[in-house]
Amino acid sequence: MTSASNVTAAKARVLFVDDEPRVLTTMRMLFRAHYEVYFAEGGPQALELLRKQPVDVVVSDQRMPGMSGIELLRAARELNPNAMRILLTGYSDLNAIIGSINEGEIFRFVNKPWSNEDLSTTVARAVTAARVSAAATARSSDEAVTAPPAGPLPAVLVMDDDERVPPQIQAILGKEFRVFGATTMSEAVDLLEREHIGVVISDTRVQDHPVVNLISTLKQHHPELVSVILTERADAGAAIELINQGQIYRFITKPIVDNACKITVNSALKQHERLTHSPELHQRYEVAQTAEPPPPTSGSGRLLDRIRSLRSWVTRRA
Amino acid sequence: MNLRRLLPALLVGVAIGVLIFLLRMTQSVDSELHLQRLDNLQAVNTLDVQFNRVLTQAHVAALMTEGDERAVLTEQLGDVLDKLDTGKQSLHGLSPELDQALDEFLDTIKDKVLLGLDFQARTTQDNQRLLNSASSVPVKVDAAVAAATPAVRAKARDLGDQLKAQVVQLSVTPSPTNQSDIHALVDALDQLGAGQPAAYKDAMAQLRFAADDVIQDKGELVGTLRKFLDRPTGPQLQKVEQQYSAWYAAQVAIAGKYRLALVAYAAVLLGVLGWLGLRLRGSYRDLDRANAGLTRANETLEAQVESRTHDLSAALQDLRSSQAQLVQSEKMASLGQMVAGVAHEINTPLGYARSNTEIVRNSLADVRGLCLAQQKALSLLAAPDASEAEIATAMEEAEAQSQALSPEELMGDLHGLLQDTDHGLGQISELVSSLKDFSRVDRSRTDLFGVNDGIDSALKICQNQLKGRVEVIKQYGELPQIECSPSQLNQVFLNLFTNAAQAIDGNGRIYVHTLVEDGGVGVRILDTGCGMSEDVRSRIFEPFFTTKPVGKGTGLGLSIVFRIIEEHGGRIDVRSTPGKGSEFVIHLPLRQKRSVDTAHEAAPAAVAA
Repeated sequence: MTSASNVTAAKARVLFVDDEPRVLTTMRMLFRAHYEVYFAEGGPQALELLRKQPVDVVVSDQRMPGMSGIELLRAARELNPNAMRILLTGYSDLNAIIGSINEGEIFRFVNKPWSNEDLSTTVARAVTAARVSAAATARSSDEAVTAPPAGPLPAVLVMDDDERVPPQIQAILGKEFRVFGATTMSEAVDLLEREHIGVVISDTRVQDHPVVNLISTLKQHHPELVSVILTERADAGAAIELINQGQIYRFITKPIVDNACKITVNSALKQHERLTHSPELHQRYEVAQTAEPPPPTSGSGRLLDRIRSLRSWVTRRA
Repeated sequence: MNLRRLLPALLVGVAIGVLIFLLRMTQSVDSELHLQRLDNLQAVNTLDVQFNRVLTQAHVAALMTEGDERAVLTEQLGDVLDKLDTGKQSLHGLSPELDQALDEFLDTIKDKVLLGLDFQARTTQDNQRLLNSASSVPVKVDAAVAAATPAVRAKARDLGDQLKAQVVQLSVTPSPTNQSDIHALVDALDQLGAGQPAAYKDAMAQLRFAADDVIQDKGELVGTLRKFLDRPTGPQLQKVEQQYSAWYAAQVAIAGKYRLALVAYAAVLLGVLGWLGLRLRGSYRDLDRANAGLTRANETLEAQVESRTHDLSAALQDLRSSQAQLVQSEKMASLGQMVAGVAHEINTPLGYARSNTEIVRNSLADVRGLCLAQQKALSLLAAPDASEAEIATAMEEAEAQSQALSPEELMGDLHGLLQDTDHGLGQISELVSSLKDFSRVDRSRTDLFGVNDGIDSALKICQNQLKGRVEVIKQYGELPQIECSPSQLNQVFLNLFTNAAQAIDGNGRIYVHTLVEDGGVGVRILDTGCGMSEDVRSRIFEPFFTTKPVGKGTGLGLSIVFRIIEEHGGRIDVRSTPGKGSEFVIHLPLRQKRSVDTAHEAAPAAVAA
């Protein structure tokens, strides 16, 4: 209702999937005024619809008979890569969440029962991101081939309490990658300031502090930075927080599997390259704002200030 | 075992046997016997000498024979020789050399004794003849002298006297020249015969015969004696003695060797004894030490036992509490799973009910605006002082709002939303009441209970695991109510349904069949899941046995099921075919055998929360 300005000439198309028809009724009442709404009572039906009609946003329930929300979103991503994906769930299953991050590349998790206002806002942001990125994709398909970026490959920053992890990752990735290790957040911020970092690999907690705030702040002011979580303390709540507030790119669990790790870091670097190249895509990976409103971001000086203040926040906590 | 016990006794026996043997061998030289034997030999020697002497004397004494003495000597000699030959003191059988020498000696001395006997007779005869011939010589001489011419008579008498003397001497104590002298004298007398009467010559011839007889007889006598004396008894006896001495020396030497061996053996035995003694002493020392240790241990044993008992009871306590914790954690895990499922089931209706309420509230604001506008228009209509223009404006406003809202449609929508909300709330309350039914928190623990109701409530609780995926086909019998703990039975059914749902990958079916049985009820739960191998099937009721990955299952679910059924006096069996599915068959009795109270005490840990 407040997001009417987001709607351009043609109404955005939003697909809702839930096995409970009453939820769909509610969604219709909520969104029919602003979007072109589509409904499906199950995964197969939704996919059939997607084949005929590309949409901008897919909102799916997780627990559905036959096909789970994650399976649906993964299939939807292949069918309709530009559509933003939102998972609506009443039940936190860690494996499902990790799966949705890594395979579904989802935009947000929304818990049942939801708040109408939050859901509307989330859907509106997703619609905006989808529109912008669709335009970017159209343009990049025009330009067809983009030149490879000049200069050295962006470096990888590894944040972990365990000092053995960065050398291990360096060994897995090989010589052509530059890997920096940090065991504290201030060390990490120093490195981010000094080096050209493209990918941050981090545990969920560093020196007993959750990294979600740091990652969220970095993502807000440094949207082309791609973060990967590498942890052995996987926790459903933390994972949801990390995706919603940090837009983490991948969530992998220890012990490290060499091949999978290399593939993940490679694709994270590609993602970074893509984001650097097309700033329009940033909105796709926009993070949910926390209570504190962000200061206006214009120019790198502001960013450095912001990171410095972040650093003082870190040192104060530490 | 027997051999080991016998061996030492055998060894001791052998050792003593060897000792006795050596002792006997050392004792084999009997010095007394030896002395007796030597005495015997000496006696033989003495007797032999005496015998010789006697015979020689007999010879000399000619007719003065002492037959008595000789008989005594012969008897004595016979006794001693018997001793040597046979009996205890005999020298026979000691050594071959000695035997030979002894036999030789005995033969000789036997001959000699025989000769001795013979000698007596012979000498008597010979002596008689000698005496005759010797006594005839003087007669013949005298005859010759008488026949001689006077010219030569003196000479012949002289020669004849000499001849007589010579013959006497020859017959008594012969000298070596006797015979030749006699011959010479006879020859001399013969030479005197020239020109002598024939009588002389006759006498001379007779004299010559007589002289020759004397010489011959004397010669025979001496020959007989020599023959006797020449028997080599002396050297032979000496030889026997030598041989015996040699044998005895050998015997003594052997005995000496054995004595040496005995000494050595005794030394060895002593050594062994000493070693055994030392060992014994060592064993005693060890025993003493062990005894001391035991005494000490006895002293500390009580304390140790106490501390061990304490440790053990602490460990037991730990085990019990960790078992209780595990059972609790399994319960929490299944509870968590149940809650998660139910939460999802509740969150969905809650989600749309809440959302609908918000929509309705927002719509009500619009409706209120419309109402106010219409109210205003109506009140203006009713008001006498209102201008027509005012009324028209108010009416238009109200109409515009009504157009925008389309109240008919809105009312329909709102009605629908509220109906959905009602439905959602109904669903929630149904879920909550089935939760309550399931847990039976507000009911007594042991109750009369319809098993079919329990199965239904368990199915409702795990609805989220089955919905749209697993078809449940129920076939209920008309069951009597049974005495049981309803919450526990509900947990059994929930566990079995959850397992069945997890065993089914994708779509499948669960058949639930209840029936009346003799003295109770039966429940069969059959799924079309993955089934299990015989190996797994035989272990599924074991605590902590699980086929789920680590961290996914505690492995206690079915063991708790088993315990609950067992505590109800029932039975649970399982059949399974890998790839086809599994079937659990439960039999429950109508009444509990144990009193209600003990059933309570035995199963408090397993009672579902």
